[in-house]
Amino acid sequence: MAKLTADFGACQGYANCVVAADDVYDIDDDGIVVLLKEHIEESDRARVEEAARSCPVNALQVVDG
Amino acid sequence: MADQTAVFEAVREGMIPAHVYNDREIFELERDRLFNRSWMFLAHESEIPDVGDYVVRHVLEDSFIVTRDNKGEVRVMFNMCLHRGMQVCRAEMGNASNFRCPYHGWSYRNDGRILGLPFHQEAYGGEEGFKKKGQTLLPAPSMDTYNGLIFISLDPDAEPLEDFLGDFKFYLDYYTKQSADGVEVRGPQRWRVKANWKIGAENFAGDMYHTPQTHTSVVEIGLFREPKAEKRKDGNTYWATSGGGTTYKLPPGTLEERLAYVGYPAEMIERMKESWSQDQLDVIGRDGFMISAASIFPNISLVHNWPKVEDTDSDEVLPFISLRQWQPISENETEVLSWFIVDKNAPEEFKALSYKAYLMCFGSTGMFEQDDVENWVSLTNTAAGSMARRLHLNSRMGMKMDGSEVVPALTKEQFAGPGKAYVGYGEYSQRNLLSKWADYLEREPEPAKGISLGGAIRGEQGRTSCSEEQNR
Ligand code: FES
Ligand SMILES: [Fe+2]
Repeated sequence: MAKLTADFGACQGYANCVVAADDVYDIDDDGIVVLLKEHIEESDRARVEEAARSCPVNALQVVDG
Repeated sequence: MADQTAVFEAVREGMIPAHVYNDREIFELERDRLFNRSWMFLAHESEIPDVGDYVVRHVLEDSFIVTRDNKGEVRVMFNMCLHRGMQVCRAEMGNASNFRCPYHGWSYRNDGRILGLPFHQEAYGGEEGFKKKGQTLLPAPSMDTYNGLIFISLDPDAEPLEDFLGDFKFYLDYYTKQSADGVEVRGPQRWRVKANWKIGAENFAGDMYHTPQTHTSVVEIGLFREPKAEKRKDGNTYWATSGGGTTYKLPPGTLEERLAYVGYPAEMIERMKESWSQDQLDVIGRDGFMISAASIFPNISLVHNWPKVEDTDSDEVLPFISLRQWQPISENETEVLSWFIVDKNAPEEFKALSYKAYLMCFGSTGMFEQDDVENWVSLTNTAAGSMARRLHLNSRMGMKMDGSEVVPALTKEQFAGPGKAYVGYGEYSQRNLLSKWADYLEREPEPAKGISLGGAIRGEQGRTSCSEEQNR
């Protein structure tokens, strides 16, 4: 399993992560990222990491655990 | 702008000033007064079967995204970013839950709502500066569907699509509702011809007269079972509210025999009997007419024909259906979009052969297509000159000098379809199409209401909306 984290203060509401993986990330009415899951399967890690990397302000991470 | 009253008067008399087929001013009138308000076809629902599917289509220069949103609803949205106007979706088709603008990165959900707006807080001061809640890509001013055909109108007060289509729905069902589940489409093939868009629309609406001449070779090589193209004059042409078309006269027989004669398998005939009204069945079974080409005002055409698809010794024929749009590019260029249509419940083998029949006859490589276009390009070129400004083309076939009919209209006992139908050659449909055209072009345009986004403009707080009743 891998764990998802977000720096909610850094998020600027680009929503690139939502475009890349809308089953994992969403955006609330204030334009701040919402994590729809806390953990993801290892098998899904590559795809979600790519979505996290698409964040222009580096607000998202996928970490072990 | 020149006064075109004389043009409209002549057209209503069945006399067509030749320059209308290649005239910049006329084209601009068509853009502002016709295409800006008429119902326009964009796509068929079967092109976007799954959630997230989309196609991008045009009404002249205006680009629209036709999507199936995450709730499964069909939406049509103007493909222009609310920020600085960049085209939001640049692919022609695909599947996406969201669209991101390449310019500054605003993104939109597939129902049009703004999803991401970078630095909303810092750059705009959040909602107080730019209200993004409830903002959507502009929905098409009017949108509706019939038998899965998705239409829009740029006129927010357009009459309901059902009323616009009116009695033509009766005929449209033959092409698009052969069973309860409707049809699926393939395509479109898309290509451009250097011809005015009206020529094709008029041709499909009622020109049975050109078949023996223009398409002689297609008949001679044995693509059709009918030995002589003159057979066309035994069919009728009809006009009903927004469209008209041509039919072939069938040999004697029952409804089932006649549908089998044009190549429909028994199981498809059974489903037609369940989906069509008694009048719709009577046109074929009782009156012996089979629909062929047709046009819906202003720029959609349909065709139904039954060529031989196997070796020419056999008399086996197979029917195909096709829908096309004459998308105007300019006064002398048209983009043709051509779809293959087939009943969803047809056997797979039928679908495959029917597709083959379509490709042989129409589409960018079709034999009929090649014959027709040569005429239309040449006509368009000639219509640009000075002499064409003096010539009124006679489009009065079927009508005597005093306006009386050459042959009487068919009675309800002779033809169960609505509208007016006449056996034999005549330019009834072409006249109806162009009279409607004149009606639209004559009417002054109403100024379109401006929509301002998220800011206060002279007291009016503009915003687009994504309310439930929109797009319904
Ligand atoms: S124009 Fe689309 S984000 Fe700026
Ligand atoms: Fe033709």
